[in-house]
Amino acid sequence: MFCSIKSPTERRYVIRMWVSAGLCVLFSVVAALVFRFYHPHGVFSYLAAVLPALPIIGALVYTGVYLAEEKDEFQRNLLVQSLLGGTGGILAVTTTWSYLEDFAHAPHLDLVWVYPLFWLFAGISYGFVRARYR
Amino acid sequence: MKNRLRVLRAERDWSQADLAQRLEVSRQSVNAIETGKFDPSLPLAFKLARLFETTIEAIFSDEN
Repeated sequence: MFCSIKSPTERRYVIRMWVSAGLCVLFSVVAALVFRFYHPHGVFSYLAAVLPALPIIGALVYTGVYLAEEKDEFQRNLLVQSLLGGTGGILAVTTTWSYLEDFAHAPHLDLVWVYPLFWLFAGISYGFVRARYR
Repeated sequence: MKNRLRVLRAERDWSQADLAQRLEVSRQSVNAIETGKFDPSLPLAFKLARLFETTIEAIFSDEN
C-alpha cells in the first residue's frame, strides 16, 4: 500500500503491520498444529481457534493508532479514504456473494477471506485516491 | 481553493520538499495543497501564514 515511507509514524505503522501479519501466519500454524495433535475441547478449542485473529485485531488497532499519531493531515486523509473504499468494497462483495449463495447456490465464501479482501480493496482504493491528487 | 503558495515559495527559492520539511508534512501534501486539490486545516493554514510571515487571507482565497 505504501511504496515509500514518508514519516517515522508511517514507518512504525508499516513495521507493526508486518509484525501483525507475521504473527497471524505463526498463530495460524500453531492453531492448526494444536487442533491436529491435541484435539482441544470446550473453552480450550475456542481459545486456540481465536489465536490467529488476535494479530488481525491488533493490526486494526494499530491502524487506528496510526491515524491518531500521524501529524500529516493529507496522508491521514489518504488512508481514511482508502479505508472507506476498503470497507465499501468488502461490504459490497460479501453482501452480493451472500445473495449468490442463497439464491444461485454459489460456492460458500469463507469468512476468513473478509480481512485480506478488505485490505485488497483498501489498496486498490488507495491507488485511485492517490491518483486523484497527482 | 486558490492559493499563492507557488509564488511565495519561489520568492524564497524553496522547493516543495523544502516547504514540506519546514511544515513537517510530506512533499505530496505540499503539492496537493499548492495545486488546490487539498484544502489544509486551519492549524496548517496558520502554520503556513506564520512561515511566510503573512496572513491566511494573503495566501488563500476562495474560488469566487
